[in-house]
Amino acid sequence: MRWVIRRLITAAITIFASITIVFFLIRVMPGNPIDVMVAQLIMQGLDPEEAYRRVLAIVPFVPTDPLWKQYIDYMRGVLSGDLGRSILYAAPVTQILIYGIPWTVFLISISLIISFSLGIVLGMYIAYKRGGILDRFFSVFSSVTRAIPPYVIAVLVIIILGVQLKLFWDPYRGPIIGPYDPRLKPGFTLEFISSVFYYATLPILSYVLTTFGIWVLQMKSSTVSVLGEYYIMAAEARGLPERRIVISYVGRNAILPLFTSLAIAIGHIFSGSVFIETVFSYPGIGRYISASIGGRDYMVISGCFLIITIAVVLSNLIADLLYSKLDPRIRFR
Amino acid sequence: MSQQKVIISVRNLTVEFRVPRGILRAVDGLDLDVYEGEVLGLVGESGCGKSVFAHALLKLVDINGYIKSGKVIFDGTKDVYSLGKKELREYRWKDVALIFQGAFNSLNPVMKVFDHMVDTVLAHEKNVSSEEIKKRSIELLKMVRLDPETVLGRYPHELSGGMKQRTVSAMALLLRPKVLILDEPTSALDVLTQKFFIRILKDLRKEFGLTMIFITHDLATVAEIADRVAIMYGGTIVEIGNVEDIFYRSRHPYTRALLNAIPSIVGDISKLKPLPGPLPDPVNPPPGCGFHPRCPYAIQICREVRPELERIDAVSFVACHRWRELKFD
Repeated sequence: MRWVIRRLITAAITIFASITIVFFLIRVMPGNPIDVMVAQLIMQGLDPEEAYRRVLAIVPFVPTDPLWKQYIDYMRGVLSGDLGRSILYAAPVTQILIYGIPWTVFLISISLIISFSLGIVLGMYIAYKRGGILDRFFSVFSSVTRAIPPYVIAVLVIIILGVQLKLFWDPYRGPIIGPYDPRLKPGFTLEFISSVFYYATLPILSYVLTTFGIWVLQMKSSTVSVLGEYYIMAAEARGLPERRIVISYVGRNAILPLFTSLAIAIGHIFSGSVFIETVFSYPGIGRYISASIGGRDYMVISGCFLIITIAVVLSNLIADLLYSKLDPRIRFR
Repeated sequence: MSQQKVIISVRNLTVEFRVPRGILRAVDGLDLDVYEGEVLGLVGESGCGKSVFAHALLKLVDINGYIKSGKVIFDGTKDVYSLGKKELREYRWKDVALIFQGAFNSLNPVMKVFDHMVDTVLAHEKNVSSEEIKKRSIELLKMVRLDPETVLGRYPHELSGGMKQRTVSAMALLLRPKVLILDEPTSALDVLTQKFFIRILKDLRKEFGLTMIFITHDLATVAEIADRVAIMYGGTIVEIGNVEDIFYRSRHPYTRALLNAIPSIVGDISKLKPLPGPLPDPVNPPPGCGFHPRCPYAIQICREVRPELERIDAVSFVACHRWRELKFD
């Protein structure tokens, strides 16, 4: 119990430190949101002075305040649940996050579950048949999918399945991208929900394609090392049924080291969604990250990074707690 | 000891492994009869194929190994290598149980001891209640002098090496096997724990009338527990005999050399005669007798013809071209 409390305190400190670092880091980036917006207004035909005045009226902070004062204001806001206002979207950051988080969680958690399960099953199978065709195929396959950037794979998926094969193609709107068919009204109707899944298929496929090869390789190497353990041969010597050995002796032990990686992957659920969501115009956190960095939307960047930090810290915490449940050897250390 | 029933009969057993250098022959045309109720000590240097042989008795081979040829007949009729999957499963542990050399590592780290017991029993007997398994386990754990209540609820890593060893021994007896193979059961234990374990084994033997194959490189332990001793060298048996015959009237030069290499606690260490040279390379074994490169008595025929395992009397065999003429000491 004391250990859990200590872990919670560490988690809180980590989140605090990360907020601070992000706050200062994005403010030393070249360019600032005011210049960006002023430039936009000038391009729309306003004269520079007028444009500058207008922008100052809508930004939620006083850009002339010293940085430390801005920081204290911001921290006070964070502690009271106010993450500031977005400049680009002209809305509170919390509202943007609350809208974006479910989309990302929906998309990436399904992808991750598929990718992980596929990796576990295939990895074990290959470990049993090591040296075979599938084994050699997956060594190459996962290096290739790791080496190709995810957005390239995403674009390829759109081109092949959407544009070429017309499997994900709307005659009026082209390849299927976005969260759902915009002609439908959101709600708990079968039509809407099936549209959500239909639209999510390609992004999920892209995510799975880019990630599951690594799970396969990890599970394979973990299984191979477990297969060499004495307790596997000992279980065979005791005449246990093969199914029992595969699941409770080999699988159960081989999967343990993968939980750390799974926790890391869960932690990166938001940061890992940037490319896929951008390519597929998916309204999740990932797309807000890329848009807000592009537009120097300080408050949204800070908010998104706060979510990422919380996700990473929480998933590590849960992994630690869970791991001690899964592996009795960790428990009393 | 005469006119005993053969419980395990091994004929011309050869086990090979694919290694990067080529084919490694770990067990090479091995013949052996084990009599019902005896304790057979199987002695040899590390790397002579003892463990591989022990595993092969249960048709267990490592993933890059295979049983090239030979037969293992259990109880006169059961041809182990032609059993179907299900029959093989039944043969393992119910007929012949094996305590691995790595007894320390032969328990699943994420399962409690009791779950191992349950798995073992349920793999062979349907409709056994958990209470019944518990009752049996407690009885056996007491026999190996462990406190059943604490051991059953523990994970393997919570037990000491000696405790694991005895836990595995108790597990080996769960199904009342006819034959128990012990692969170097004492080599990882300290001397006192060794003695203790040997005493337990003797009790178990009395209690169950077990046949035991006791594999070790330690002749002193063998002297203490075995009825007969088989000496293994280069993947095959070179001499078998009653324990007194092996210790006082051994006929094979290798057995002699082994005996001369045992330090005596009171003797002068300089009188030890360690065996010169390494074990033969199992990938490129020497022609003729496998021992000839290290044998001081080797003559031309030893380099060319492999000696057969010849019967000397009812229970003694030796594989040496010159056993009739050689006089030691």
